[in-house]
Amino acid sequence: MKEIMLYRGCTTPVRLPAYEAATIAVLGKLGVKVVEMDDANCCGAQYVESVSRMAFAAMSGRILALAEKESQDILALCGACSGSLKINKHFLDNDEKARKEVNELLSEEGLKYTGKTRVRHLLQVLNEDIGFEAIEKAIKKPYKGLKLAAHYGCHVTRPYEIVQVDDPENPTIIDRLIEIAGAEAVDYVGKTRCCGGPLLAMDESLATHIGQDKIRDAIAAGAQGMVTACVFCDIQLTQVQFGEDTDSSKMIPVIPIVQFLGPALGIKEDVLGIELNKTSPDIILSALQEAK
Amino acid sequence: MNNETHTPSSDFAKEIALIPGGEVINKCIQCGICTASCVVACVDDQYRPRRLIQKILIGKRDEVLKSDQPWLCMTCRMCEERCQEGVSPAEIFHAVRILAVKEGHIPKVFQITVEKVLCDGWMLADAYTDFNEDEREDLGLNPALAWNDTFTKKVKKKYLAGEESA
Ligand code: SF4
Ligand code: SF4
Repeated sequence: MKEIMLYRGCTTPVRLPAYEAATIAVLGKLGVKVVEMDDANCCGAQYVESVSRMAFAAMSGRILALAEKESQDILALCGACSGSLKINKHFLDNDEKARKEVNELLSEEGLKYTGKTRVRHLLQVLNEDIGFEAIEKAIKKPYKGLKLAAHYGCHVTRPYEIVQVDDPENPTIIDRLIEIAGAEAVDYVGKTRCCGGPLLAMDESLATHIGQDKIRDAIAAGAQGMVTACVFCDIQLTQVQFGEDTDSSKMIPVIPIVQFLGPALGIKEDVLGIELNKTSPDIILSALQEAK
Repeated sequence: MNNETHTPSSDFAKEIALIPGGEVINKCIQCGICTASCVVACVDDQYRPRRLIQKILIGKRDEVLKSDQPWLCMTCRMCEERCQEGVSPAEIFHAVRILAVKEGHIPKVFQITVEKVLCDGWMLADAYTDFNEDEREDLGLNPALAWNDTFTKKVKKKYLAGEESA
């Protein structure tokens, strides 16, 4: 069985552990064994990134070196983690001086960065390592009569030259997976726009406004739910629906791609942690058909 | 030919151009596609990436370095994707942040978070409770997250001693 090393990141294990559990279950079912990375550190996204280029490179560089030591590729479930690791890999691979400097720090604990480890976002594993055909074959209980909107996450898909996941202007991986599982993917205004999450620290009300616009646009296009591929986006698009001035009758479920695929692959809901979701997934689960 | 500039070039713009990410600022033709693509600009009528770049080009050094605006950018890179001149406002504002920090201008929330991350090794050490551990166990996940703070402390000492607390 193919193996990949999960870098959990900070947010998934604390605020959305069901995403982690569902990823392990779904990839396992599709023939990829997830092993978890221990002794890791923050990737440096946004905060350290904003204050020092080299500190940012060192933080991500150590994570890359930890996987390299185990001869594994890295799996990331978060746009910020996958983006940071890829941007720093690109930087370290192309800047010998920076690489040397980071390696000096790493050598104190017997680690070394040479660039061998690849960074894979979850969508790349599903699309490239497993493939749509194999996933389609593994669908046991397809959905029917369900319209869903895909939200990709800015840092998952941009900048394309470095992250190389999907077409940044017109991404299709999540849409394809929605359809493979039997549901209908709806297009909506601002599909590639940000969820607003990165603005939470500086201005929560603006961030919420951006997220609410996104949900509103998806609903206007007929979506009954939103499928995500980043822990930050998932949490942000969920929590903006719980604000004071929001209409709870207009709430739609927000669900990570693996929690959406899991039931269709015949994986039990409790393994996927679906009952922990803050937006009710009932409308999605009730669209599941009997085994084909 | 490729390096032909279309805009005024202040000393401040030259300074930004020397920081990684800021190199091509003088290729900006002030077309405004970045502002038109920006979701932050959609919800905040003070935030205008084109205008912020213009302020750099005409040399409003003090105003830009002390402003919160470069810190409002979400680095979503929608503008970068659309800019026909190959300029990335996200990268330019990143270069501005690096310079601003050097001169002691950093929003409190960034300062506190950098400090936390480098001391604890990760961002959510305080938020991780028994409740989370139980939840992880119920899901069959390892409750011991085993974060490393030795390395991040080294990083702090080497690259950020004094700077982020300025
Ligand atoms: S889109 Fe590019 S060229 Fe146009 S104003 Fe923005 S940065 Fe300048
Ligand atoms: S990267 Fe920054 S300036 Fe550009 S569109 Fe996104 S938020 Fe706006």
